[in-house]
Amino acid sequence: MTSWLNSARDTLRVLPVALIATTICLFAATALLYVTESQRRALLSATIRSSGWVAYQAQLEYVKSRAAMDSVVMVPSQNALDFLGLRLELLRSRLPLLYSSEEGRFLDEIAGVKSGVQAFEGEIDAFLDRLPLLPADRATADEVLSWIDALEPLGRTLQTALLTSVAYNDEIFRRERELAATPAIVPLMLLFVSGTCLALVLLVQARRDRVRLAAVQTARAAVAAMEENLRGVIEAVPACMAVIDPSDRRVRFVNSGGGAMIDASPDHPDWARLTDAAFAAARLEGAQWGTLALTFDTAEGAIISLRGSLCNVIWEGRPQILMVLADTTRVRDADLQLLQAAKLATLGEMATAIAHELNQPLAVIRMAVANAHRMLASDGERSLIAAKLDRVASQVDRAKRIIDQVRRYGRLPTGRPTRFSLRHAVELAVGFVAEQYRAFGIRLSIQLDIPADLMVTGEQTMFEQVIVNLLINARDAFEARTTPGRAPCVFVRARVAGDNAVIEVEDDAGGIDNEMMSRLFEPFSTSKPVEKGTGLGLSLARSVVRDMNGQITGENIAEGARFTVVLPIASAPSAQEAA
Amino acid sequence: MSDAPSILICDDEADLAAELGEYMSANGWIAMVATSAPDALAVLEGGVTPTCLLTDLRIAEYDGAELVTAARSLPPALQPQIFVMMTGHVVDASEAADFGVDLLYLKPIDPDAILGDICAALSRRNAGKVEG
Repeated sequence: MTSWLNSARDTLRVLPVALIATTICLFAATALLYVTESQRRALLSATIRSSGWVAYQAQLEYVKSRAAMDSVVMVPSQNALDFLGLRLELLRSRLPLLYSSEEGRFLDEIAGVKSGVQAFEGEIDAFLDRLPLLPADRATADEVLSWIDALEPLGRTLQTALLTSVAYNDEIFRRERELAATPAIVPLMLLFVSGTCLALVLLVQARRDRVRLAAVQTARAAVAAMEENLRGVIEAVPACMAVIDPSDRRVRFVNSGGGAMIDASPDHPDWARLTDAAFAAARLEGAQWGTLALTFDTAEGAIISLRGSLCNVIWEGRPQILMVLADTTRVRDADLQLLQAAKLATLGEMATAIAHELNQPLAVIRMAVANAHRMLASDGERSLIAAKLDRVASQVDRAKRIIDQVRRYGRLPTGRPTRFSLRHAVELAVGFVAEQYRAFGIRLSIQLDIPADLMVTGEQTMFEQVIVNLLINARDAFEARTTPGRAPCVFVRARVAGDNAVIEVEDDAGGIDNEMMSRLFEPFSTSKPVEKGTGLGLSLARSVVRDMNGQITGENIAEGARFTVVLPIASAPSAQEAA
Repeated sequence: MSDAPSILICDDEADLAAELGEYMSANGWIAMVATSAPDALAVLEGGVTPTCLLTDLRIAEYDGAELVTAARSLPPALQPQIFVMMTGHVVDASEAADFGVDLLYLKPIDPDAILGDICAALSRRNAGKVEG
């Protein structure tokens, strides 16, 4: 079926070409035929008529010679003899024309008289040679009379030739009349055929054009409908969508969601600000734009969190960039509240450890004060008393540092990313749990191979909470399972790998259950007893790290579990930021 | 007892140990200070037998309770007479007996109270010996 259709289609394609070729050939043939025909006709009529004229002339001269001979027979004078000589000369000159001229050869009947006529030519020549010698007398008249009889057959031959010629001419005239009545029927037929071919070509072509036009119109309508649909979808999506011209990064189109979030007019200056921020935040993944997350200060002074992507689209027939942003402010706020709750829970859990830490400086102060009192009572040296007071002051500073740390930790996260020293943040997080680890008898091995001025971008207290969470998880893991005969130990390492900083928190507490491993970062998945954990720690950790454009992974190693956080290193601040 | 009483103070908080040592010295005691449990045990095993052993509960790497147990397992001649424990932690076991010590204090503590209690315990112990 398909092959039949294909062959039919091929035929349809070949047909117009064949028709055009045929038409051209027919036109050329018609023209050639017309030219040849007219040429032949002209030649034919000219020759036939000339041959008739030659026969007629010969016949005429014969009759005139015969008359001259008759006059010599009646009155044999010298004048009559001379006139006869002239006539015979003329007749002699006409005879060869009958068969030797182009016109004479044309008719076979005339060409056939050649031998007979040539015999008479000889006789006429011989008589013409003798004529000047003949005297003008009766004997000459008798000789001429007998010669008239001798020339009689020539007269009949010439008569026959003339008649033949006349008969031919009659036939030719008849044909010419016929031709005139039906002028050029063959060329006309040819013209008609070629005209029909041409008309067919035009018809086939017109049909094909109509089909093509219909296809093009359908396709155009489909494209228009699709664009209309796309526009409708973009309008309906409850997210901020904007079409950006890649050449000048100007916003060309804004949907209603974008209008509600920023401004309905693409020319609003906030759009340029948002576009710049989005391009700065977007990371190229291969040739495509990837996802992006950013915070944006609106003109009203609110800070909104946005998550989305940039992608290449064809818009109004041109390649443009579509920016899709979802307002995740509420999600982020909920995240922040959860994070805060998790932090406060941690803080509560650590209250005893914090109390112990505060008790240490207080205990020292209490002793130092007792000694100072004793010195005062015994009039001791002032410098020694002053030294005691210095010790008290330094212990107060120590207590203040502990309280500052707690206060820092309890502070509500702003959700606003800043550049901060990664090393300092890790040290603060480690410092926060160090006392607890000491209390639980877990050794902390810290190896930070990163410079203090290595910066990352994010919300610092939230990042610290990520590390604290990992360390508390490690601590709880030891509580659940300890390796006998070995001091529990947790390793915290940091290093630089290319453009990223890598932080590892590793324990040797036996590792994570396989069943747990697959949903490690899912919310509400926990291996801890209800009073110990919410099951949100790692889920929050992932969302915090993701907001920093980083990655967090967990794996089991030989003796325990290892969590790895990879963060992009922030580039040097621009002059604008530094200012 | 004609000789001055002696005390071995074990606390990884060096400032605290030093202040307490100074206080006890000023009150006529011979004070020795160790900042780790192994150091303190080495002193005890070295034949110096203090009248009193005062230790912090949570000491890095080596627990105060372990130190007390180790000291209790020494030959009786090498054992201090009075065991005292201090802790900055809120501990579940709030009884001195739970740790096998004579006195238990929560930080911060007035050194006068420690001294008074130790002296009282010592005189009770001595009175008991005399009676016994």
